[in-house]
Amino acid sequence: MSAPLSAPALTPDAVRGARTRLRVRNARDLAGRFARRRDGMVAAVILLVFAVLALVPALFVGPLETVTTATGTPFEPPSLAHIFGTDQAGRDMLNLTVHGTRISMVIGLLATIMTILLGATIGITSGYIGGRPDQFLMRVTDFFLVLPTFVLAVVLAPIVLDLVGIDAEIFGIKATLMVIVIVIGLTSWAATARIIRSQTLSVKERMYVDRARVIGGGSGHIMRRHILPNVTNLIVANTVLTFAGAVFTETTLSFIGLGDPFAPSWGQLLNSAQTSGAPGLGAWWCIAPPAACVVIVILAFTLVGNALDDVLNPKSGVRR
Amino acid sequence: MRSRPVSARYLARQSAQAIFTIAMIVLLNFILFRMMPGSPDRVNPRNPNVTPEQREAARERWGLNDPLLPIGITLDPPGITITGENQLFAFIAATLRGDLGYSMKYRGKSVVEVIGDRFWPTILLIGLAEVIAIILGLALGAYAGWKRGGKADRIGNGLSLILYSMPYFVIGMPLIIIFAAGLGWFPTSGMLTAGATYTSPLDFLADLLSHLALPLATVSLGLIGGYSILMRSSIIETRGEDYVETARAKGLTDRRILRSHAFPNALLPAVTLIAINLGYVVGGAITAEIVFNWPGLGTLTVDALDARDYPVLQGIFLFLGISVVLANFAADIVYGYLDPRVRR
Repeated sequence: MSAPLSAPALTPDAVRGARTRLRVRNARDLAGRFARRRDGMVAAVILLVFAVLALVPALFVGPLETVTTATGTPFEPPSLAHIFGTDQAGRDMLNLTVHGTRISMVIGLLATIMTILLGATIGITSGYIGGRPDQFLMRVTDFFLVLPTFVLAVVLAPIVLDLVGIDAEIFGIKATLMVIVIVIGLTSWAATARIIRSQTLSVKERMYVDRARVIGGGSGHIMRRHILPNVTNLIVANTVLTFAGAVFTETTLSFIGLGDPFAPSWGQLLNSAQTSGAPGLGAWWCIAPPAACVVIVILAFTLVGNALDDVLNPKSGVRR
Repeated sequence: MRSRPVSARYLARQSAQAIFTIAMIVLLNFILFRMMPGSPDRVNPRNPNVTPEQREAARERWGLNDPLLPIGITLDPPGITITGENQLFAFIAATLRGDLGYSMKYRGKSVVEVIGDRFWPTILLIGLAEVIAIILGLALGAYAGWKRGGKADRIGNGLSLILYSMPYFVIGMPLIIIFAAGLGWFPTSGMLTAGATYTSPLDFLADLLSHLALPLATVSLGLIGGYSILMRSSIIETRGEDYVETARAKGLTDRRILRSHAFPNALLPAVTLIAINLGYVVGGAITAEIVFNWPGLGTLTVDALDARDYPVLQGIFLFLGISVVLANFAADIVYGYLDPRVRR
């Protein structure tokens, strides 16, 4: 230790300043490594575009067209007036697809938040506390891992709908859409909990956790201040991959008719195309735009997730 | 990979876990469907000819007057009652007998019959698709991983990732538009031509195959991505192993090393994934069946969902849950055989 690091440097302010500088440097370092992943960067830019579309869809294509405000005739092929053509009710496909972005993304986001909150809380608690509670929680997790997600979703959705009523609103979102969020959340937290728990098990053996315990830190405090920051990397990469899965499941559930026809997501648009017989009529323009969006968004999330995983957890290697 | 028996303890532990999970699925089935509003006798009050006495008799006959659970807590007087006459035990006993109740939509047919009718079309479609996807997916993944970073890898892995991002119906609908509606090579829906009479078994087979082609292609393409991605990363891991270096030092050809040294060892994780996937065989491709109106369990699920045919939904959930648990069990046992470290 040399002179500049002696007593006056160790004021609380100085410590805080040093900590902030360290964080900024780490973040810049990570951003630099991420920027070198070309596939991840391209995918991130694509997601950014979709995020903008989701935030202000009306800015690009005007308000959502309904059956009464439709601007065309049924099944019009692409033309200058309707570059993506029209659907079975004469609604402009470009308009519907852009508005579908918001609904697909919002449901995906809410479902991801629910999954990560449940998974991280259960994973950290289970791993940190250990013993009997850990065994019990992991049994429950195993059960949810084994459950056929999709079938459970199909069974759960109508029950929840019957319970709350189709027109009910939860947090200002139509019950039909909220059901999808709940179903995805309930059926996909288990994998996250497993991953976070195993990381917690290794983090809690580290010296600074012992030190925190010795100076009298409570369990809640240690989990929040010492464990959580050290599993954040894992949570971040996992969140992005979960988002891909959530959009996938939302699309599928909407496609089989659990979506809301008045707030169409991409899956719902594909459902209308299917039920109106568009594939048999050869009306490819009713299917191509939402289908392409689904694939591009899921692929982009997967690529960003994999790139983040490689950057944040260098040891985890190639997954999926 | 010589197989040695797994220890009895390992077997016992895995069986216990499988049985526990199945018990939980049965319990969940019981709870879920009793959370619904109303009760089975709510259909009766709509009928003016049903007297309250008749309704009460029906409730008694159906066991709806029995308590839900074997243990009840009463507050007045405070105490706990335990009874054998309850709906949970009756439900478990019926499930064990294989009595899953009657369908609401298909009047007079038991749930087991309804599911049984739809079982084989699904097995035919998904079973064949799994075989095709496993062969093509593993080969594609192994080749891409072996040529890591090369042109073949970039194309192969890119293709796998794109396929992995596509739900079945996103693959199936374009196939219909191109090959059925556009070119007219294949029919758009169903398993057989409605009302057709066949002069020979060969005729029948030809009709079946022309209906099967597009759904089969859809499900196979949907499955290839997952297998290929897994096999690629597995091969990449084996590439750096000592035995691969040794084989190379011996002067074996690149092809030979991949085929006889790297591939068999990289197969281990793939085998587990395949075993687990087989559990999802029956419930895996619901949307593919819908797109092609294939008369399997997938279309049954959605029909039951539309008609709110809860007994059938319940039966499907139980059936698929058990097949997934059994597949996981099989995967654990297979893994125990192949990898001695987990066998204890």
